[in-house]
Order: sequence, then structure tokens, then C-alpha cells
Amino acid sequence: MDQNKRILIGIVLLVVIGGAVLGLEVLRRQRVTEGDLEPGSIPIYVDGQFTAAFTPDDLDALEQDSFKDAEEGKTQEGWMLRDVLSLHLSEESLTPQTRIKVISTSRDKLAELTWAEVDNAENMVLFDLSGRGTLKLVSQFDRLDVREEWVQDTDRIEVTSP
Amino acid sequence: MKERYFSTFQLILLALFAALVVVAKIALRTPIQMPGHSGIFWMAIIIVGAGVVPKFGAASIVGLTSGVLAGFLGMGDFGALNTFLSYTAVGVGTDLALLLLRDPENVIAAALSASLGHTGKFLVKWVLSAMTGAPAGFVALGLARALIGYVVFGAVGGLLGALTLRGLRAAGFFAYLEEKR
Repeated sequence: MDQNKRILIGIVLLVVIGGAVLGLEVLRRQRVTEGDLEPGSIPIYVDGQFTAAFTPDDLDALEQDSFKDAEEGKTQEGWMLRDVLSLHLSEESLTPQTRIKVISTSRDKLAELTWAEVDNAENMVLFDLSGRGTLKLVSQFDRLDVREEWVQDTDRIEVTSP
Repeated sequence: MKERYFSTFQLILLALFAALVVVAKIALRTPIQMPGHSGIFWMAIIIVGAGVVPKFGAASIVGLTSGVLAGFLGMGDFGALNTFLSYTAVGVGTDLALLLLRDPENVIAAALSASLGHTGKFLVKWVLSAMTGAPAGFVALGLARALIGYVVFGAVGGLLGALTLRGLRAAGFFAYLEEKR
């Protein structure tokens, strides 16, 4: 077999792999749709009641922020959690003592913060888009500044009044 | 005595390339904020490794060893197992691709092999996320964007690797190695 044929087979292989992954992901997105929520959206529950969802449509209304993490020096860039919550919840429902849980059910991880901590711009509590397209909660706040403490594959936000 | 598949010298070289992959991942930064951008560095190193030790399995050894190192160093956002498997997949994928495309000094073959190898890493991450029940991507085209990133940056890394191999040949490195055997 000549080299051109080999290269052609390689390109076809790459296209087939890409097509298969994207096709399967489309099927997966259709299967995991929760109620009327857009696949991948993050539902927000206030005192146990479903109130809103952070959806890709919200991105137009949000600005991105970034910081360099202390652990690996990588730039973490995304949408501030305070902006996401302010977009969907009223000011009265967010007091400094309001507790906010960001949860990943698949990874069994959660981060619990107060609104005062989330609202402090210096803490940089934000959602970064991971390489596989899911959201991870990252921060430079001292209780949430290393990968072990971050919440990868976030799929739920719970807000509890004090 | 039966001759070993890899000589001690070749294994030392491959271990050095593995260490270089981890060092590159830690120390080198690009301003590109796209998934898979680090493939520029490490696919170049893996292609050079596969060219300097031209035997099937060389890239796999670099991938496996760098996976062990990176896993123990706690690198990666998704845990040690994810890191280990994804680094290993890069090596195994590159080896399999080179089995088809052969010559890592050919820029097109090297770019395509590196692209396929880097896509192996993407596949591992994607399969593991599906297996652990991770949510669907937040942005509909997020996965497509990530896949394109892995393919393109892998190819650029492979291209750099092939050019490095040509540079090494021009500098007489392979003749030197041949002399030392």
C-alpha cells in the first residue's frame, strides 16, 4: 500500500471517530434531558423548590472573568456564580447568610458557600467550561482553590435561606 | 541469550521523553484557551520519541510512563485514573496510528498520527465521563469544539515533532546513535 493510501485511511479513521463521538453525544443529550430543561443546563433549587435553570441562553447576558489558579498556574475562565444567581434570583432571596451548594451528582462532590463569599469578587467563584464541555466550579477562595475542592461536572445548584 | 525488544538505552531515552511530557505539561503555557492546546507540546515530544526509538510500542511506553508520573503528581482536573488512562491512550493511539502511517519524519504522516493519538486522549475522557454519568455538555457544540481542538493541536504537535526529527537527522543525531550501537 502506498503512503497516500495510508494517509487517506488515517483521515477517514479520524473523521469516522469524530462522527461516531458526536453522533453518540447527540443521542446522550437527548436521553439525559430532564423535564423541559435544555440538555446540560444546571437547575437551581431554592429551599428545595425548582426555581430556574442556568442555560446556555444565559451566556449572552453574562460577562466572563478569569484568574490563574495557584496550583498549576492555568487560566480558569468562565461565568461568575454570583452573576448566574443574580440573573435568576431576586435580591431579597440572597442575603449574606444564604447558603449556596454547588453539586456534582456524578462525582459525588459539593461546595457549600455563603452568598457573602460568592458575592465577593476577589474570591472569583466561577464556572469554567471543562475540556469535555461540562461546567466546573473553580475559585481562588481558600476553601475552594485546589482541584480536589473544585466541583467538576456540576449538575445542580441549591440555595437555602438562613 | 534472547535479545530484548527494547535495549536499556532505548528505555532510558523513552523514560526521559515521558518526563519531558510531564515537565512540558507543567511548565509550558500558551495563551490559547482551547481544549487540547497542550497537545502542541506533548504530541511533538511523543512523535520525537517514536522517531528516535523506531519500534512499535515506543510511544505507548512514553504515554504509560508519563501517565504514571502525572497520576502520582496529581495532575489533571478529573483524578489520577483519568489522568493515567488519558496519557496512556495518547501513546497507544500514536503507536497504532504509526503502525498504519509508518514514517514519523513524514510531516503529513506525523501530523495525522499525532492527531489520532491525541484524539485517543479525548476518547478516554469522553468515555470515562459517559461511564461516570457526567452531565451532557453545557454548550451544545462544546464537545465538537473540544474534539476539533484535540485534532488540530495534536496535528500541530505532530508537525513540530516531524520537523524536530528532521532537524535531528540533519544534525547527525541518528548517525551518532548508529555509531554508538
